[in-house]
Amino acid sequence: MIQAVHTYRSRAAALLMPAALALVFGACAEDDAETVQGPSDLSYDPGTWDGVNYTAQAPVMQRLTRAQYRNAVADIIGEEIIIAGGLEPDLASNGFLTVGAAASITSPRGVEQYEASAVSIASQAMSNSDVRDRLITCTPAGDVDDACARQTIETLGRRIYRRALTETELDRLTNVAAVAGDTIDDFYEGFSYALAAMLQSPNFLYRVEAGEEDPAGGRRYTANELASRLSFLLWNTTPDDALLDAASDGSLLTDAGLQEQVQRLLADARARDGVDNMFAEYLQLYELEHLSKDPTIFVHMSSDVGDYAREETMRLINDLVFDRDVDFREFYVADYTFINRKLAAIYNIPAPAREGFARAELTEDGGRRGFLGQLSFLALHSHPTNSSPTLRGRFIRETLLCGTVPPPPSNVDTSIPEPSPDARTLRERLEQGHLNVPNCASCHLLMDPLGLGFENFDSLGRWRETENDAMIDPSGDLDGVEFEDAWEFGGLIAEHRNLASCITRNVFRYASGRIESFEEARIIEGLSESFEKGGFQVQELLFDFIMSPGFRKVGAIESTTSN
Amino acid sequence: MRKTRISRRSLLRGMLGGAAVSIALPPLDIFLNTNGTAYAAGGALPARFGLFFWGNGNLPHFWVPEGEGSGDDWQLSDQLQVLAPHKDKLCVVSGMNCKTENIIPHNSGAAGILTGASLVIRDGRDDETFAAPSIDQVIANGIGRDTRFKSLEFGAEDSGRSYNGPDSRNPAENDPYALFERVFGAGFRAPGDDGVVDPAIGLRRSVLDAVLADASALNARLGVNDQQRLESHLDGIRDLELRLARLEEDPPNLEACVQPEPPTANYEPIDGRPQLQAKNRIMCDIAAMCLACDQTRVISNWITGGVSNILIGDATAGHHQLTHDEPGDQPQVNAITKAILGEYAYMLEALRSIPEGDGTLLDNCAVMASSEVSLGRTHSMEDMPLLIGGSACGRIKNDFHYRSFSGDNASTVLLTLVRAMGIVAPSFGIDEGMATDSLGSIEV
Repeated sequence: MIQAVHTYRSRAAALLMPAALALVFGACAEDDAETVQGPSDLSYDPGTWDGVNYTAQAPVMQRLTRAQYRNAVADIIGEEIIIAGGLEPDLASNGFLTVGAAASITSPRGVEQYEASAVSIASQAMSNSDVRDRLITCTPAGDVDDACARQTIETLGRRIYRRALTETELDRLTNVAAVAGDTIDDFYEGFSYALAAMLQSPNFLYRVEAGEEDPAGGRRYTANELASRLSFLLWNTTPDDALLDAASDGSLLTDAGLQEQVQRLLADARARDGVDNMFAEYLQLYELEHLSKDPTIFVHMSSDVGDYAREETMRLINDLVFDRDVDFREFYVADYTFINRKLAAIYNIPAPAREGFARAELTEDGGRRGFLGQLSFLALHSHPTNSSPTLRGRFIRETLLCGTVPPPPSNVDTSIPEPSPDARTLRERLEQGHLNVPNCASCHLLMDPLGLGFENFDSLGRWRETENDAMIDPSGDLDGVEFEDAWEFGGLIAEHRNLASCITRNVFRYASGRIESFEEARIIEGLSESFEKGGFQVQELLFDFIMSPGFRKVGAIESTTSN
Repeated sequence: MRKTRISRRSLLRGMLGGAAVSIALPPLDIFLNTNGTAYAAGGALPARFGLFFWGNGNLPHFWVPEGEGSGDDWQLSDQLQVLAPHKDKLCVVSGMNCKTENIIPHNSGAAGILTGASLVIRDGRDDETFAAPSIDQVIANGIGRDTRFKSLEFGAEDSGRSYNGPDSRNPAENDPYALFERVFGAGFRAPGDDGVVDPAIGLRRSVLDAVLADASALNARLGVNDQQRLESHLDGIRDLELRLARLEEDPPNLEACVQPEPPTANYEPIDGRPQLQAKNRIMCDIAAMCLACDQTRVISNWITGGVSNILIGDATAGHHQLTHDEPGDQPQVNAITKAILGEYAYMLEALRSIPEGDGTLLDNCAVMASSEVSLGRTHSMEDMPLLIGGSACGRIKNDFHYRSFSGDNASTVLLTLVRAMGIVAPSFGIDEGMATDSLGSIEV
């Protein structure tokens, strides 16, 4: 059995939960005397997973997502670099781009784009003297200088391949630089070809994680593989030198060494990007790129609204996870948000700042609080002109609560009745329509009653009291618990029994690039229990997960049948 | 890149890594005879394939033409009226059903009509893929090896469903400028250009060899499935080497080939509505010239996608929502379908405006048009929309309507198209979707 009882929890939040829920949520945030305890507070009890008989799944090869590729190039080569052309699009699977990245095959067009991008990046790097001097610290003796090229490839290559290069690799790339330098009569232009080779190499584009025998039993990720897993999970980018050092001196494979690195990474500002991205994928905010609303109906609609909506959600997550480091359930009931003038206009509340984003308080009169009161939920799961209780309900049921909704059957008439005198609101029309047909209702009841709680918000997320002059009734029930309106509904999500396990499961899937096995589900269960007991501390969840076998252990590769 | 002192010959030989890098190019016999009706080397003009695929279907009761047969025996329907200028080059097939499973709305239909095989549905949410290559890739595998690009995928508003096989998709280019740049940008040489080859091309090609060598050690550390994924990537690198090598050859003397001007307009949506028409038309013009310049022989146009909810024309709601919610005869859905078909008409027009041999480029093409459902409201896969523009060098009947009254397998039409491209194929599709006989009624 899993014994995931943690001994280290002494944090106030953990002790006060869940009684403190009302206290924290009810109080105005400024009045809270919160002591933000940094990642250094996190510690690991090596006995946590004793007795857990666990066999991990075989590794999967993840392609860098576009965001990871961009972040890695900015980190390794420089922020100045412009990635101008397109890159193979990420494909979501089970909601995650990282899961899609472990299954999809790069198209011939994608290979072509990686090549063009590598050539462009390398050429920019070598023609910008700031970048060039930063990358090449030796002074070349001529068009060809093998020593200088090799030394640079060794340093850069370690960052690009996320491991030390082999002698064969160094020889090959040094030779590329030498021959190109000789051909073009220029060391730097010649070197750009060696750089372009590294940047389009599958060694850079894919994370190959084969694992090794673990002296303690079973198999584990190698130190370098673990460094990459850690860095992409917490920073959404490639490991830095310090992390690679911890891998090469072996300390990363020890509990103490790993703990030290997790604390260091979580304390770094880049952890905000990593956690942002994790939640953005979990909440499918990448879809905001394609947000489509009819601007003839929604005068506030413009092409930047999707970006603003994402920014709002990310700022709230950052505030909860890092600035305040509090119970994550507040994500669903926060009575404040971070908005700019445009979003303030849509929410019909005073803009908190003339320029940019700032904190704004929310009141029950306004009807909206937490993530479910944000455009990132309300507008994303609506049609371009109309709200959709089905789409909103489906997202809550499937994504936030990890429930299952079967696909609609084929060859059924899906039209809903037009507004009529005895059915003016969408609720009334749905009740006449598919909620009245047993075959449809069996699944729609999993979604529509949830989504109908948000009918006070139109397709863009603006507040409304009426629809076709009829009062909107936003009440309903979530799995047997009644709610009056969307304001109350947020509280039900925060307290829902599936919330902790659903978040934990999704953290696992995001980090692993695949769906959990039965045995891995037991690890998730253990992590989820302590996440709940510890008061929904996201940094702690990440820490516990990374220290667990669910992050560090790996199965054997599926071997070939012959040769 | 600076001017260099090296010769094109030495670049073609390759020089990186010390060893000669040689590329074995298939013979490129695309010099036409003096009257332009066949290759100088004796071969006939090749048939080319086009695909036009849109989302959310049609309205079958406004779609099916009156009468069957050729010429005056059949009349264009309400929805097809927009194709009137090309009735003489059109073959309409109606009454055909997808025999594959209909489980996941839209996705099942796309798999059925494009591959003749049921959608692969795996555990987990939205985890689906195609079991087999889509029709454009089946044909590209047969006729796409002799040109610079095996196939070109583009689309104004969708990334498309061109599949090489499971989990292997060819995303469509959505940006007209990027489509132009890919084919006619740096390195492209129009007929008659005997200038200097950009030396960077040879260097890039040689770098690819280093990348292939660099990746070779990875294989041993991968499971079977990931080995295949890596191998596909390496195949992509080998393809790219060939593509770069093509740029170093003298361009063919194809008369109709003219390097187009790069697109300059801004194709951002206006008032939240995509510039469907403007984007589609510039991309069709570029794609038609890709065929005329024999840069590829297979093009696919994924103009909109299934479940796509974009605002088209003056519609009061998104396309997908309207197919489900609009009552009655769905006049808005009808108007949107006609607007999309107008873009198919433009694609045919773009091909028809390019003279080739005794006729036009369109005569040497077959441009299939279809969608992933027929009636969007019910996600029906019966009486699927199927149009063919052009005769594939006289192999497909034009100005013709064929209707099946027994709901025959739609895959027979796809098999007909594969064979019309000169490909020997015993069947198309898998299991219940498989067809082993082509549709003789539309073959010449």
